[in-house]
Amino acid sequence: MTVDAVLAIFRRVLPSSDLDVDSDFFTVGGDSLLATRVLSAVARECGVELTFEEFLLAPTPAALAVTIATTVGNGALR
Amino acid sequence: MRVVVVGAGLAGLTAADELTAAGADTVVLEARDRVGGRVHGLEVAPGSWVDAGAAYLGDKHTMLAAALAESDLKTTPTAMVGASRFDLGSLSTRPGRFPPLSAVALGELFDALDEVTSSVRPHAPWLSPDAEARDARSAADWAAEHLRHPDARLFFPLFLGEMMAADPAAISVLHMAFYLRSGGGTGYLNAFEGGAQQDRVDGGSHQLAVALAARLGDRVRLSQPVRAIHQDHRGALVHTAAGTYPADAVVVAVPPLLADEIEYRPGLPVGRAGPGTGRGCAIKVHLVYPAPLWRDAGLSGWSLSSAGPMQSTVDDSPPGVGVLTGFVTGAEALRFSALTAAEQRASVRAQVSGLFPDLPPPTAIHVTDWVAEPYSRGCYAALFGPGDWLQRGPTLTTAHLRVHWAGTETSTEFFGLMEGAIRSGHRVASEIRARY
Repeated sequence: MTVDAVLAIFRRVLPSSDLDVDSDFFTVGGDSLLATRVLSAVARECGVELTFEEFLLAPTPAALAVTIATTVGNGALR
Repeated sequence: MRVVVVGAGLAGLTAADELTAAGADTVVLEARDRVGGRVHGLEVAPGSWVDAGAAYLGDKHTMLAAALAESDLKTTPTAMVGASRFDLGSLSTRPGRFPPLSAVALGELFDALDEVTSSVRPHAPWLSPDAEARDARSAADWAAEHLRHPDARLFFPLFLGEMMAADPAAISVLHMAFYLRSGGGTGYLNAFEGGAQQDRVDGGSHQLAVALAARLGDRVRLSQPVRAIHQDHRGALVHTAAGTYPADAVVVAVPPLLADEIEYRPGLPVGRAGPGTGRGCAIKVHLVYPAPLWRDAGLSGWSLSSAGPMQSTVDDSPPGVGVLTGFVTGAEALRFSALTAAEQRASVRAQVSGLFPDLPPPTAIHVTDWVAEPYSRGCYAALFGPGDWLQRGPTLTTAHLRVHWAGTETSTEFFGLMEGAIRSGHRVASEIRARY
Protein backbone atom coordinates (compact mmCIF):
# COMPACT_ATOMS: atom_id res chain seq x y z
CA MET A 1 0.00 0.00 0.00
CA THR A 2 1.45 3.41 -0.99
CA VAL A 3 2.03 6.28 1.40
CA ASP A 4 -0.48 8.30 -0.61
CA ALA A 5 -3.11 5.60 -0.17
CA VAL A 6 -2.57 5.64 3.61
CA LEU A 7 -2.69 9.44 3.60
CA ALA A 8 -6.00 9.24 1.75
CA ILE A 9 -7.37 7.01 4.53
CA PHE A 10 -6.19 9.50 7.18
CA ARG A 11 -7.95 12.27 5.28
CA ARG A 12 -11.20 10.29 5.12
CA VAL A 13 -11.17 9.45 8.83
CA LEU A 14 -9.95 12.72 10.33
CA PRO A 15 -11.95 15.92 10.32
CA SER A 16 -8.74 17.96 9.95
CA SER A 17 -7.75 18.55 6.32
CA ASP A 18 -4.24 19.87 6.98
CA LEU A 19 -2.40 16.55 6.78
CA ASP A 20 0.77 15.31 5.15
CA VAL A 21 2.70 12.05 5.12
CA ASP A 22 4.44 12.92 8.40
CA SER A 23 1.33 13.97 10.36
CA ASP A 24 1.01 12.09 13.65
CA PHE A 25 -2.55 10.74 13.76
CA PHE A 26 -2.89 11.32 17.50
CA THR A 27 -1.76 14.95 17.42
CA VAL A 28 -4.03 16.01 14.52
CA GLY A 29 -7.37 15.05 16.05
CA GLY A 30 -7.15 11.27 15.94
CA ASP A 31 -8.18 9.13 18.91
CA SER A 32 -8.35 5.41 19.55
CA LEU A 33 -11.85 5.06 18.11
CA LEU A 34 -10.87 6.79 14.85
CA ALA A 35 -7.67 4.71 14.81
CA THR A 36 -9.75 1.55 14.51
CA ARG A 37 -11.36 3.01 11.41
CA VAL A 38 -7.94 3.60 9.82
CA LEU A 39 -7.07 -0.03 10.55
CA SER A 40 -10.36 -1.39 9.18
CA ALA A 41 -9.80 0.66 6.00
CA VAL A 42 -6.22 -0.66 5.67
CA ALA A 43 -7.53 -4.21 6.12
CA ARG A 44 -10.24 -3.64 3.52
CA GLU A 45 -7.90 -2.11 0.96
CA CYS A 46 -4.88 -4.40 1.24
CA GLY A 47 -5.82 -7.29 3.48
CA VAL A 48 -3.32 -6.44 6.24
CA GLU A 49 -4.78 -6.56 9.76
CA LEU A 50 -2.66 -4.45 12.07
CA THR A 51 -3.07 -4.18 15.84
CA PHE A 52 -3.75 -0.99 17.75
CA GLU A 53 -0.24 -1.20 19.25
CA GLU A 54 1.34 -1.43 15.78
CA PHE A 55 -0.48 1.77 14.84
CA LEU A 56 0.67 3.50 18.03
CA LEU A 57 4.27 2.73 17.01
CA ALA A 58 3.72 4.01 13.44
CA PRO A 59 1.15 6.80 13.69
CA THR A 60 2.03 8.72 10.48
CA PRO A 61 1.06 7.79 6.91
CA ALA A 62 4.76 7.34 6.03
CA ALA A 63 5.49 5.09 9.00
CA LEU A 64 2.26 3.12 8.68
CA ALA A 65 2.98 2.42 5.01
CA VAL A 66 6.36 0.96 6.07
CA THR A 67 4.67 -1.22 8.72
CA ILE A 68 2.18 -2.46 6.15
CA ALA A 69 4.95 -3.22 3.64
CA THR A 70 6.97 -5.05 6.31
CA THR A 71 3.96 -7.08 7.35
CA VAL A 72 3.26 -8.03 3.73
CA GLY A 73 6.97 -8.77 3.17
CA ASN A 74 7.04 -11.06 6.19
CA GLY A 75 4.20 -13.03 4.68
CA ALA A 76 2.20 -12.10 7.72
CA LEU A 77 -1.07 -11.58 5.90
CA ARG A 78 -3.65 -12.44 8.49
CA MET B 1 -50.17 33.64 33.61
CA ARG B 2 -50.30 30.58 35.83
CA VAL B 3 -47.95 27.72 34.89
CA VAL B 4 -47.83 24.34 36.61
CA VAL B 5 -44.66 22.34 35.98
CA VAL B 6 -44.82 18.59 36.61
CA GLY B 7 -41.43 17.24 37.64
CA ALA B 8 -38.51 18.99 39.37
CA GLY B 9 -35.70 17.48 37.32
CA LEU B 10 -33.36 19.72 35.35
CA ALA B 11 -35.91 20.16 32.54
CA GLY B 12 -38.79 21.22 34.79
CA LEU B 13 -36.64 23.42 37.02
CA THR B 14 -35.06 25.15 34.00
CA ALA B 15 -38.48 25.85 32.50
CA ALA B 16 -39.88 27.07 35.84
CA ASP B 17 -36.87 29.29 36.44
CA GLU B 18 -37.12 30.94 33.02
CA LEU B 19 -40.90 31.35 33.18
CA THR B 20 -40.78 32.76 36.71
CA ALA B 21 -38.15 35.27 35.63
CA ALA B 22 -40.46 36.25 32.77
CA GLY B 23 -43.22 37.04 35.28
CA ALA B 24 -45.29 33.84 35.27
CA ASP B 25 -46.96 32.60 38.43
CA THR B 26 -45.25 29.21 38.68
CA VAL B 27 -45.72 26.06 40.73
CA VAL B 28 -43.50 22.98 40.37
CA LEU B 29 -45.06 19.69 41.51
CA GLU B 30 -42.52 16.98 42.31
CA ALA B 31 -43.44 13.38 43.20
CA ARG B 32 -40.33 12.67 45.25
CA ASP B 33 -39.27 14.26 48.52
CA ARG B 34 -36.27 15.78 46.73
CA VAL B 35 -35.56 17.73 43.55
CA GLY B 36 -33.26 16.65 40.71
CA GLY B 37 -34.94 13.56 39.27
CA ARG B 38 -32.26 11.52 37.54
CA VAL B 39 -29.67 13.97 38.89
CA HIS B 40 -28.99 12.91 42.45
CA GLY B 41 -26.12 13.27 44.89
CA LEU B 42 -24.80 10.75 47.37
CA GLU B 43 -22.60 11.77 50.31
CA VAL B 44 -20.08 8.93 50.59
CA ALA B 45 -17.98 10.57 53.30
CA PRO B 46 -18.55 13.78 55.26
CA GLY B 47 -18.51 16.55 52.65
CA SER B 48 -17.59 14.16 49.79
CA TRP B 49 -20.34 13.75 47.20
CA VAL B 50 -20.65 11.51 44.18
CA ASP B 51 -23.21 11.47 41.41
CA ALA B 52 -25.69 8.64 41.84
CA GLY B 53 -27.31 9.68 38.56
CA ALA B 54 -26.21 11.89 35.66
CA ALA B 55 -22.61 12.89 36.15
CA TYR B 56 -20.56 13.83 33.10
CA LEU B 57 -20.35 16.74 30.73
CA GLY B 58 -18.17 18.04 27.92
CA ASP B 59 -17.48 21.23 25.96
CA LYS B 60 -20.46 20.76 23.66
CA HIS B 61 -22.84 20.95 26.64
CA THR B 62 -23.10 24.70 26.38
CA MET B 63 -26.48 25.25 28.04
CA LEU B 64 -25.46 23.12 31.00
CA ALA B 65 -22.21 25.08 31.26
CA ALA B 66 -24.20 28.35 31.25
CA ALA B 67 -26.55 27.06 33.95
CA LEU B 68 -23.61 25.93 36.11
CA ALA B 69 -21.91 29.30 35.72
CA GLU B 70 -25.11 31.11 36.69
CA SER B 71 -25.22 29.10 39.92
CA ASP B 72 -21.49 29.56 40.60
CA LEU B 73 -20.78 25.85 40.18
CA LYS B 74 -17.42 24.63 38.90
CA THR B 75 -16.42 21.52 36.98
CA THR B 76 -13.56 19.14 37.61
CA PRO B 77 -11.88 16.85 35.05
CA THR B 78 -12.65 13.14 35.14
CA ALA B 79 -9.41 11.39 36.17
CA MET B 80 -8.21 8.95 33.50
CA VAL B 81 -4.47 8.46 33.89
CA GLY B 82 -2.82 5.07 33.98
CA ALA B 83 -3.49 1.54 32.89
CA SER B 84 -6.85 -0.17 32.49
CA ARG B 85 -8.06 -3.59 33.56
CA PHE B 86 -9.95 -5.82 31.16
CA ASP B 87 -11.97 -8.98 31.74
CA LEU B 88 -13.06 -9.97 28.24
CA GLY B 89 -12.80 -13.73 28.55
CA SER B 90 -9.47 -13.41 30.39
CA LEU B 91 -7.99 -10.78 32.69
CA SER B 92 -5.39 -8.33 31.44
CA THR B 93 -3.83 -4.95 32.22
CA ARG B 94 -3.12 -2.55 29.37
CA PRO B 95 -2.04 1.07 29.03
CA GLY B 96 -4.87 3.41 28.03
CA ARG B 97 -8.46 2.39 27.44
CA PHE B 98 -8.08 0.32 24.28
CA PRO B 99 -9.44 -3.18 24.90
CA PRO B 100 -7.50 -6.36 24.02
CA LEU B 101 -9.67 -6.97 20.98
CA SER B 102 -9.05 -6.84 17.23
CA ALA B 103 -8.71 -3.17 16.25
CA VAL B 104 -9.83 -4.06 12.73
CA ALA B 105 -13.01 -5.70 14.09
CA LEU B 106 -13.79 -2.63 16.21
CA GLY B 107 -13.07 -0.44 13.19
CA GLU B 108 -15.63 -2.42 11.20
CA LEU B 109 -18.14 -1.88 14.02
CA PHE B 110 -17.52 1.87 14.05
CA ASP B 111 -17.64 1.99 10.23
CA ALA B 112 -21.06 0.31 10.36
CA LEU B 113 -22.26 2.65 13.13
CA ASP B 114 -20.99 5.65 11.19
CA GLU B 115 -23.01 4.59 8.17
CA VAL B 116 -26.30 4.63 10.11
CA THR B 117 -25.54 7.67 12.29
CA SER B 118 -24.34 9.91 9.46
CA SER B 119 -27.52 9.38 7.45
CA VAL B 120 -29.96 10.04 10.31
CA ARG B 121 -31.76 13.39 10.30
CA PRO B 122 -30.95 14.55 13.82
CA HIS B 123 -33.93 16.89 14.29
CA ALA B 124 -36.44 14.60 12.60
CA PRO B 125 -35.19 11.02 12.74
CA TRP B 126 -38.51 9.75 11.40
CA LEU B 127 -37.72 11.51 8.10
CA SER B 128 -34.29 9.87 7.74
CA PRO B 129 -33.55 7.77 4.68
CA ASP B 130 -34.71 4.23 5.27
CA ALA B 131 -36.48 5.36 8.48
CA GLU B 132 -39.28 2.78 8.28
CA ALA B 133 -36.94 -0.19 8.03
CA ARG B 134 -34.55 1.16 10.68
CA ASP B 135 -37.40 1.97 13.05
CA ALA B 136 -38.88 -1.50 12.67
CA ARG B 137 -35.63 -3.34 13.34
CA SER B 138 -33.82 -3.90 16.63
CA ALA B 139 -30.17 -2.98 17.08
CA ALA B 140 -29.53 -6.64 17.96
CA ASP B 141 -30.82 -7.76 14.54
CA TRP B 142 -28.72 -5.07 12.88
CA ALA B 143 -25.62 -6.30 14.73
CA ALA B 144 -26.30 -9.91 13.75
CA GLU B 145 -26.25 -8.86 10.11
CA HIS B 146 -23.43 -6.31 10.12
CA LEU B 147 -20.94 -7.63 12.67
CA ARG B 148 -19.10 -10.73 11.57
CA HIS B 149 -16.04 -10.71 13.80
CA PRO B 150 -16.57 -12.23 17.27
CA ASP B 151 -14.68 -9.33 18.89
CA ALA B 152 -17.14 -6.83 17.37
CA ARG B 153 -20.07 -8.93 18.59
CA LEU B 154 -18.56 -9.09 22.08
CA PHE B 155 -17.87 -5.36 22.21
CA PHE B 156 -21.11 -4.02 20.71
CA PRO B 157 -23.46 -4.71 23.67
CA LEU B 158 -20.83 -3.36 26.10
CA PHE B 159 -20.56 -0.24 23.98
CA LEU B 160 -24.32 0.33 23.73
CA GLY B 161 -24.66 -0.32 27.45
CA GLU B 162 -22.05 2.30 28.13
CA MET B 163 -23.38 4.87 25.65
CA MET B 164 -27.13 4.44 26.04
CA ALA B 165 -27.80 2.05 28.95
CA ALA B 166 -29.49 -0.14 26.38
CA ASP B 167 -29.70 -3.81 25.58
CA PRO B 168 -29.36 -3.96 21.76
CA ALA B 169 -32.54 -6.08 21.60
CA ALA B 170 -34.55 -3.29 23.29
CA ILE B 171 -33.93 -0.40 20.88
CA SER B 172 -34.50 0.24 17.21
CA VAL B 173 -31.62 0.83 14.81
CA LEU B 174 -33.11 4.27 14.20
CA HIS B 175 -32.98 5.10 17.91
CA MET B 176 -29.39 3.91 18.19
CA ALA B 177 -28.38 6.02 15.19
CA PHE B 178 -30.32 9.03 16.44
CA TYR B 179 -28.96 8.80 19.98
CA LEU B 180 -25.33 8.58 18.89
CA ARG B 181 -25.82 11.50 16.49
CA SER B 182 -27.80 13.58 18.98
CA GLY B 183 -25.06 13.28 21.58
CA GLY B 184 -22.43 14.77 19.27
CA GLY B 185 -21.36 11.62 17.40
CA THR B 186 -20.04 8.25 18.45
CA GLY B 187 -16.50 9.52 19.04
CA TYR B 188 -17.63 12.44 21.18
CA LEU B 189 -20.03 10.35 23.26
CA ASN B 190 -17.38 7.70 23.84
CA ALA B 191 -14.54 10.01 24.84
CA PHE B 192 -13.49 11.25 28.25
CA GLU B 193 -10.94 13.98 27.44
CA GLY B 194 -12.38 16.07 24.60
CA GLY B 195 -15.69 14.22 24.84
CA ALA B 196 -18.91 13.88 26.76
CA GLN B 197 -17.23 12.47 29.89
CA GLN B 198 -14.52 15.12 30.12
CA ASP B 199 -15.74 16.74 33.34
CA ARG B 200 -17.97 16.32 36.36
CA VAL B 201 -19.55 19.02 38.47
CA ASP B 202 -17.26 19.70 41.41
CA GLY B 203 -19.21 18.57 44.47
CA GLY B 204 -21.91 16.83 42.42
CA SER B 205 -24.32 17.71 39.62
CA HIS B 206 -27.27 17.62 42.04
CA GLN B 207 -26.14 21.04 43.26
CA LEU B 208 -27.50 22.56 40.06
CA ALA B 209 -31.00 21.22 40.77
CA VAL B 210 -30.70 22.38 44.38
CA ALA B 211 -29.63 25.85 43.27
CA LEU B 212 -32.46 26.19 40.74
CA ALA B 213 -34.96 24.98 43.35
CA ALA B 214 -33.60 27.47 45.88
CA ARG B 215 -34.26 30.30 43.44
CA LEU B 216 -37.83 29.05 43.00
CA GLY B 217 -38.34 28.79 46.78
CA ASP B 218 -41.79 27.69 47.92
CA ARG B 219 -42.99 27.43 44.33
CA VAL B 220 -41.50 23.92 44.42
CA ARG B 221 -43.85 21.46 46.16
CA LEU B 222 -42.32 18.09 47.06
CA SER B 223 -44.10 14.73 47.54
CA GLN B 224 -46.89 15.78 45.17
CA PRO B 225 -47.25 13.10 42.49
CA VAL B 226 -49.58 14.36 39.77
CA ARG B 227 -52.51 12.01 39.12
CA ALA B 228 -54.55 13.81 36.47
CA ILE B 229 -54.58 16.81 34.16
CA HIS B 230 -58.02 17.92 33.07
CA GLN B 231 -58.61 20.64 30.48
CA ASP B 232 -61.61 22.52 29.20
CA HIS B 233 -62.21 25.87 27.50
CA ARG B 234 -61.39 27.74 30.74
CA GLY B 235 -57.98 26.21 31.32
CA ALA B 236 -56.27 23.25 32.92
CA LEU B 237 -56.59 21.68 36.35
CA VAL B 238 -53.66 19.65 37.67
CA HIS B 239 -54.67 17.13 40.34
CA THR B 240 -52.48 15.62 43.05
CA ALA B 241 -53.62 13.62 46.08
CA ALA B 242 -53.27 16.80 48.15
CA GLY B 243 -54.96 19.34 45.94
CA THR B 244 -55.85 20.86 42.62
CA TYR B 245 -53.80 23.49 40.81
CA PRO B 246 -55.42 25.63 38.11
CA ALA B 247 -53.18 26.60 35.21
CA ASP B 248 -53.15 28.48 31.94
CA ALA B 249 -50.32 26.23 30.79
CA VAL B 250 -48.87 22.97 32.08
CA VAL B 251 -45.37 21.63 31.50
CA VAL B 252 -45.04 17.87 31.87
CA ALA B 253 -41.32 17.37 32.42
CA VAL B 254 -41.15 13.69 33.38
CA PRO B 255 -39.90 10.66 31.39
CA PRO B 256 -42.36 9.27 28.80
CA LEU B 257 -43.23 6.14 30.78
CA LEU B 258 -44.23 8.33 33.75
CA ALA B 259 -46.02 10.92 31.62
CA ASP B 260 -48.32 8.13 30.45
CA GLU B 261 -49.26 7.31 34.06
CA ILE B 262 -51.05 10.65 34.37
CA GLU B 263 -54.73 10.65 33.45
CA TYR B 264 -55.42 13.24 30.74
CA ARG B 265 -58.89 14.56 29.93
CA PRO B 266 -59.30 14.88 27.04
CA GLY B 267 -56.94 12.01 26.39
CA LEU B 268 -53.71 12.20 24.42
CA PRO B 269 -53.98 11.53 20.70
CA VAL B 270 -50.66 9.65 20.83
CA GLY B 271 -49.26 8.12 24.00
CA ARG B 272 -45.91 9.40 25.25
CA ALA B 273 -44.70 5.79 25.35
CA GLY B 274 -45.79 2.59 23.67
CA PRO B 275 -45.46 -1.14 24.18
CA GLY B 276 -41.93 -1.02 22.75
CA THR B 277 -40.70 1.87 24.91
CA GLY B 278 -38.29 0.64 27.55
CA ARG B 279 -36.62 1.83 30.71
CA GLY B 280 -33.04 2.95 30.36
CA CYS B 281 -31.17 0.11 32.01
CA ALA B 282 -28.56 1.66 34.28
CA ILE B 283 -27.59 0.85 37.84
CA LYS B 284 -24.73 2.75 39.40
CA VAL B 285 -22.53 1.15 42.03
CA HIS B 286 -20.20 3.27 44.13
CA LEU B 287 -17.31 1.45 45.77
CA VAL B 288 -15.75 3.54 48.50
CA TYR B 289 -12.09 3.30 49.57
CA PRO B 290 -10.00 5.31 52.03
CA ALA B 291 -8.20 6.88 49.02
CA PRO B 292 -7.85 6.24 45.25
CA LEU B 293 -5.46 3.38 46.04
CA TRP B 294 -5.42 2.02 42.46
CA ARG B 295 -3.48 5.11 41.36
CA ASP B 296 -0.49 3.95 43.44
CA ALA B 297 -0.37 0.83 41.28
CA GLY B 298 -0.43 2.90 38.06
CA LEU B 299 -4.06 2.03 37.35
CA SER B 300 -6.66 4.55 36.19
CA GLY B 301 -9.54 2.71 37.83
CA TRP B 302 -11.07 2.15 34.39
CA SER B 303 -12.08 -1.41 33.70
CA LEU B 304 -14.19 -3.15 31.10
CA SER B 305 -15.76 -6.57 31.70
CA SER B 306 -17.92 -8.85 29.63
CA ALA B 307 -18.65 -11.00 32.67
CA GLY B 308 -20.51 -8.46 34.78
CA PRO B 309 -22.30 -7.44 36.80
CA MET B 310 -20.35 -4.18 36.30
CA GLN B 311 -19.47 -3.60 32.64
CA SER B 312 -17.12 -0.82 33.50
CA THR B 313 -15.62 1.05 36.41
CA VAL B 314 -14.30 4.58 36.45
CA ASP B 315 -12.44 6.68 39.02
CA ASP B 316 -14.95 9.27 40.27
CA SER B 317 -13.10 10.09 43.49
CA PRO B 318 -14.06 13.36 45.11
CA PRO B 319 -11.36 15.01 47.24
CA GLY B 320 -10.51 13.09 50.40
CA VAL B 321 -11.78 9.64 49.49
CA GLY B 322 -11.46 6.99 46.77
CA VAL B 323 -14.52 6.09 44.72
CA LEU B 324 -14.83 3.66 41.85
CA THR B 325 -18.12 4.04 40.03
CA GLY B 326 -19.35 0.80 38.51
CA PHE B 327 -21.90 0.76 35.70
CA VAL B 328 -24.33 -2.13 35.44
CA THR B 329 -26.18 -1.58 32.17
CA GLY B 330 -28.34 -3.17 29.50
CA ALA B 331 -29.71 -6.68 29.99
CA GLU B 332 -27.32 -7.20 32.93
CA ALA B 333 -29.04 -4.35 34.81
CA LEU B 334 -32.37 -6.19 34.71
CA ARG B 335 -30.75 -9.34 36.12
CA PHE B 336 -28.89 -7.35 38.79
CA SER B 337 -32.01 -5.41 39.73
CA ALA B 338 -33.78 -8.70 40.48
CA LEU B 339 -31.16 -9.70 43.10
CA THR B 340 -31.49 -9.01 46.82
CA ALA B 341 -29.32 -6.22 48.24
CA ALA B 342 -27.04 -8.82 49.86
CA GLU B 343 -26.65 -10.72 46.58
CA GLN B 344 -25.89 -7.49 44.72
CA ARG B 345 -23.15 -6.56 47.17
CA ALA B 346 -21.66 -10.05 47.15
CA SER B 347 -21.48 -10.18 43.34
CA VAL B 348 -19.95 -6.70 43.14
CA ARG B 349 -17.39 -7.57 45.83
CA ALA B 350 -16.45 -10.78 44.03
CA GLN B 351 -16.05 -9.00 40.71
CA VAL B 352 -13.95 -6.14 42.03
CA SER B 353 -11.63 -8.48 43.93
CA GLY B 354 -10.92 -10.19 40.60
CA LEU B 355 -10.49 -6.94 38.68
CA PHE B 356 -8.39 -5.19 41.31
CA PRO B 357 -6.87 -7.96 43.45
CA ASP B 358 -4.48 -5.56 45.21
CA LEU B 359 -7.23 -3.35 46.59
CA PRO B 360 -8.58 -3.93 50.09
CA PRO B 361 -12.30 -4.61 50.29
CA PRO B 362 -14.32 -1.42 49.79
CA THR B 363 -15.36 0.30 53.01
CA ALA B 364 -18.85 0.82 51.58
CA ILE B 365 -20.86 -0.17 48.53
CA HIS B 366 -23.76 2.01 47.39
CA VAL B 367 -26.15 0.70 44.77
CA THR B 368 -28.44 3.14 42.95
CA ASP B 369 -30.95 1.13 40.95
CA TRP B 370 -32.57 3.47 38.43
CA VAL B 371 -34.41 0.61 36.76
CA ALA B 372 -36.46 0.12 39.94
CA GLU B 373 -36.97 3.84 40.70
CA PRO B 374 -40.74 4.37 40.53
CA TYR B 375 -40.39 8.08 39.75
CA SER B 376 -37.77 7.67 37.02
CA ARG B 377 -38.44 4.26 35.48
CA GLY B 378 -34.98 3.94 34.11
CA CYS B 379 -31.89 5.97 33.38
CA TYR B 380 -30.10 7.44 31.43
CA ALA B 381 -33.27 7.89 29.38
CA ALA B 382 -36.27 6.06 27.97
CA LEU B 383 -35.32 3.57 25.26
CA PHE B 384 -37.24 3.99 22.03
CA GLY B 385 -37.95 0.50 20.76
CA PRO B 386 -39.06 -0.65 17.33
CA GLY B 387 -41.97 1.49 16.14
CA ASP B 388 -41.50 4.34 18.61
CA TRP B 389 -39.80 6.99 16.48
CA LEU B 390 -42.19 6.75 13.56
CA GLN B 391 -45.25 6.72 15.78
CA ARG B 392 -44.23 9.21 18.47
CA GLY B 393 -41.40 11.24 16.97
CA PRO B 394 -43.50 13.70 14.96
CA THR B 395 -45.49 14.78 18.06
CA LEU B 396 -42.66 14.60 20.61
CA THR B 397 -42.93 18.34 21.34
CA THR B 398 -46.50 18.98 20.13
CA ALA B 399 -48.61 20.52 22.88
CA HIS B 400 -51.83 18.75 23.84
CA LEU B 401 -54.04 21.85 24.16
CA ARG B 402 -52.42 23.59 27.18
CA VAL B 403 -50.14 20.69 28.11
CA HIS B 404 -46.56 21.17 26.89
CA TRP B 405 -43.76 18.62 27.01
CA ALA B 406 -40.22 18.81 28.32
CA GLY B 407 -37.58 16.39 29.54
CA THR B 408 -34.40 15.09 27.95
CA GLU B 409 -36.47 12.67 25.83
CA THR B 410 -38.09 15.64 24.06
CA SER B 411 -34.75 17.13 23.02
CA THR B 412 -33.36 16.02 19.69
CA GLU B 413 -30.09 17.65 20.80
CA PHE B 414 -28.21 15.69 23.48
CA PHE B 415 -31.14 13.35 24.08
CA GLY B 416 -30.66 11.42 27.30
CA LEU B 417 -28.15 13.84 28.78
CA MET B 418 -28.39 16.73 31.27
CA GLU B 419 -27.74 19.06 28.34
CA GLY B 420 -30.82 17.71 26.55
CA ALA B 421 -32.95 18.22 29.67
CA ILE B 422 -31.87 21.84 30.02
CA ARG B 423 -32.36 22.57 26.32
CA SER B 424 -35.87 21.10 26.54
CA GLY B 425 -36.61 23.35 29.52
CA HIS B 426 -35.62 26.46 27.60
CA ARG B 427 -37.50 25.30 24.49
CA VAL B 428 -40.74 24.72 26.40
CA ALA B 429 -40.40 28.05 28.23
CA SER B 430 -40.05 29.88 24.89
CA GLU B 431 -43.02 27.96 23.53
CA ILE B 432 -45.20 29.05 26.45
CA ARG B 433 -43.98 32.65 26.47
CA ALA B 434 -44.80 32.94 22.77
CA ARG B 435 -48.29 31.50 23.13
CA TYR B 436 -49.86 32.85 26.32
